Amino acid sequence: MKKFLAALLAMVMVLSMIPAVFAEETITLTVFRGDPGDQPTEDNKIYKLIEEKLGIKFEFEFLAGDLAETLNLKMADDVYPDLFDGGNYAETLENGEVLIDLLPYISEEKTPNLYKHIYTNDRIKQLMTEDGKLYIIPNYGINYNAQIQNECNGPAFFIQKQVIAWNNYEVPTTLNEYFDLIERFIAANPTTANGTPYTGFAILCEGWRHFCLINPVQHLMGRPNDGEVYICVTDQNYEVTGNDPSVAFKTETFIDKPYAKAYYAKLNEEYHKGLINKDTFVMNYDQYIAALSNGTVIGMFDQTWDFGTATDSLRANEQYANTYLALPLVYDPEYVNGAVIEEHYLNGAVMNKDRGFGISVTCECPERVVQLFETLLSDEWQTILQWGIEGEDYYVENGRYLMTKEQYDNRADAQWKRANRALAIWESAPKKQGTMDNGNAWDPGQQPEIYFGQMNDYDKDFLTAAGKKTPAEFFNAPIELAPYGEAWQIDKAPIDIDYNQGFLPIQDRWLPIIITCDPAELDANWDAFVAEITPSAQIYTDFMQTEVLKLVEQATK
Amino acid sequence: MTAITKELNQTKRQKGFFRRLCGQWQLMVMSVPMLLYVFLFNYAPMWGWLTAFQDYQPKKGLAGSPWVGLENFKFLFGREDFLLAIRNTLAMSVINLVFGTVSSILLAILLNEVRSKAFKRTVQTVTYLPHFLSMVIVVGMAQNIFSSNGAVNSLLMSLGLVKEPVFFLGKGEYFWWLVGVINVWKEVGWNTIIYIAAMTSIDPSLYEAASIDGAGRFQRILHVTLPGIKSTFMVLLIMNIGHLMEAGFEIQYLLRSGLTMKYSDTIDVFALIYSFGSSKPHYAYGTAAGMFKSIVGIILLFGANMAAKALDEETLI
Repeated sequence: MKKFLAALLAMVMVLSMIPAVFAEETITLTVFRGDPGDQPTEDNKIYKLIEEKLGIKFEFEFLAGDLAETLNLKMADDVYPDLFDGGNYAETLENGEVLIDLLPYISEEKTPNLYKHIYTNDRIKQLMTEDGKLYIIPNYGINYNAQIQNECNGPAFFIQKQVIAWNNYEVPTTLNEYFDLIERFIAANPTTANGTPYTGFAILCEGWRHFCLINPVQHLMGRPNDGEVYICVTDQNYEVTGNDPSVAFKTETFIDKPYAKAYYAKLNEEYHKGLINKDTFVMNYDQYIAALSNGTVIGMFDQTWDFGTATDSLRANEQYANTYLALPLVYDPEYVNGAVIEEHYLNGAVMNKDRGFGISVTCECPERVVQLFETLLSDEWQTILQWGIEGEDYYVENGRYLMTKEQYDNRADAQWKRANRALAIWESAPKKQGTMDNGNAWDPGQQPEIYFGQMNDYDKDFLTAAGKKTPAEFFNAPIELAPYGEAWQIDKAPIDIDYNQGFLPIQDRWLPIIITCDPAELDANWDAFVAEITPSAQIYTDFMQTEVLKLVEQATK
Repeated sequence: MTAITKELNQTKRQKGFFRRLCGQWQLMVMSVPMLLYVFLFNYAPMWGWLTAFQDYQPKKGLAGSPWVGLENFKFLFGREDFLLAIRNTLAMSVINLVFGTVSSILLAILLNEVRSKAFKRTVQTVTYLPHFLSMVIVVGMAQNIFSSNGAVNSLLMSLGLVKEPVFFLGKGEYFWWLVGVINVWKEVGWNTIIYIAAMTSIDPSLYEAASIDGAGRFQRILHVTLPGIKSTFMVLLIMNIGHLMEAGFEIQYLLRSGLTMKYSDTIDVFALIYSFGSSKPHYAYGTAAGMFKSIVGIILLFGANMAAKALDEETLI
């Protein structure tokens, strides 16, 4: 077996050396994607085009099973694909020295598109590692021209649209208003049309998706997503958080602070009113998605992308009234010493740092791969990758890129996508987002004519009645991104055990207890929780403070 | 004189052994695949145990990773999670062992007393079907049955036994028992097979003799059936004691949640979470935990065997 493997490996190596000799011969790149996906069909039209024009073929391997485990095993075997996308665990690849430094291959002369892509606005400062290397070019979050945001795609409190409609399109803006509305709605409509009782508020606590349980407090305090820390960027909350105004970017964990207790005490109150079901703390992701897809869950805190399948199935069943509206809630002043908090859920463009393709150390032709990214980043290829082929997948009218209903619906059809889109490459490769120089949106879904043209009638009427043009208008405009980016992206590998086996599980264990306990025991439970989490929270805060200041320094240098 | 006899005896015995070996060469050939299997999958991987004493990094390999002595074990025994994992493992094992043995012997006795063959076969088939279900499905069903509005709670409520639904899935204290119950449901039929087999090998004349002596049905069970399966029971008990450190992995991993983690994590779950549960792999922690588990298992096995020997009972080795 070993010999066979060795022979196979030798053959692969010999084969992959051929392109070095005949520079423009067709080569095959092996590609690993850190998430599950569909193999493209043999005659996929975009891959065919890439093969014809650029002489490159791909062989894909998609994630099956647990990502961290798969990456760790690949590293143990020392056999890597040429293009390596580590998904949500890409740090593992960087820490394991699996990827090559891309900087030597990128220059203004040889790769102008890539150069512009990562050097504009000093982006490179954020992207480089401490030792001045670049392993991964972000897969998302680098915008060209104006950024179009029709919907909130990140964290928010969600509520079924029918509840807002029932409330005469008056939208809650604070925590109290939100739960008050849910209470009133359920009092008036205890069950769905077919008699299933409604659940007021669901909390997903499973695995890494426990952000639904542990993240809301920072948003209620008026900050975008920094993971598990509250960072003072504006001065509006100094009084509440006790942060020191003399230290810019002072970082603290919020979960053990009194202003966090207010949120969980509120949940405790709602639990005893019957709005929260006990089973929410033991349900897994599939059960959660099933509950949402049934249309029986009125509200939850989550991120839009996390329950996309539920939204799709509600739409497929034409249960538009049960789809969700994202709301930017903040604390009522009573919870935070009378402070009036302004919401900042939407952030400036966040580069998805450390997420995307890297080139592995075993790749025989890194130069050619970088050149591939360079070519694919050209306007011509970006249009092909995102919009498709003119005349087949979209049409142009007066300089505007448009789609017929059929063309638009195709894009949601998994079978069609396998044959007509190069998603497995496009999703993890560097890409242009925002607006083209000619004013069209890079993403067809964001092109205003298409976004509104293809919207279902319920949503159209809903927005009109609410007096908004897009769902994103329920939010404040995105704020300027802090110089450190978003703190959840910081790699916690150095404090790994204290963080993953201490700080996080303590929250997983205590917060459900605090939400479900007898109100008389709430204070005692909270104090016990704070006492237990303080040591690991301290380690975590110290680490994050250092890292945040380092990033700020790097960005302003 | 005695020395010569001894030598003679030895050569005779050796000759006898080799002759027998050659005489049964077909059996030997047949056992080769099993030996290979055991060697390949049970002995060869033991090289990996070396990593328990290293700060193992796959990039550097076994030869290049730095040695750290007993650091990894010190780390494990310094974590409350690991001590809890040992406790949980032992607790769930004992519960599984007691529940599993008692339930399967009971069912075996009941089936043994049934006269209608068709009924007996049906019950046997129905009870051992769950054995073939994947744990993922079994746990999914259990989550439904034991949820707040599941079958068990509905039953308890309608009988008036409880006023509020019992939070079976979210109370750490219930977790061990829940695992015990699920395991019994899944495995009782399967475990019964071996006891039924033991009972069929009991000489029927013993039962006849007992009835002639005036023994009733319960007395026959007590004095004939139970002693008849004692040796089977002892062998199984010793083997199970050797497996005490293996309380399972799938069922706990699938059934655990934040609320129950202090009671749910066995050594196997602990090893997975500490090795792979973060962006940096810690192979050595998992290896060390597994190694500890195996060594305790071996000690338990020999301990149980010795105890059985001392009590003059059936032994394994």
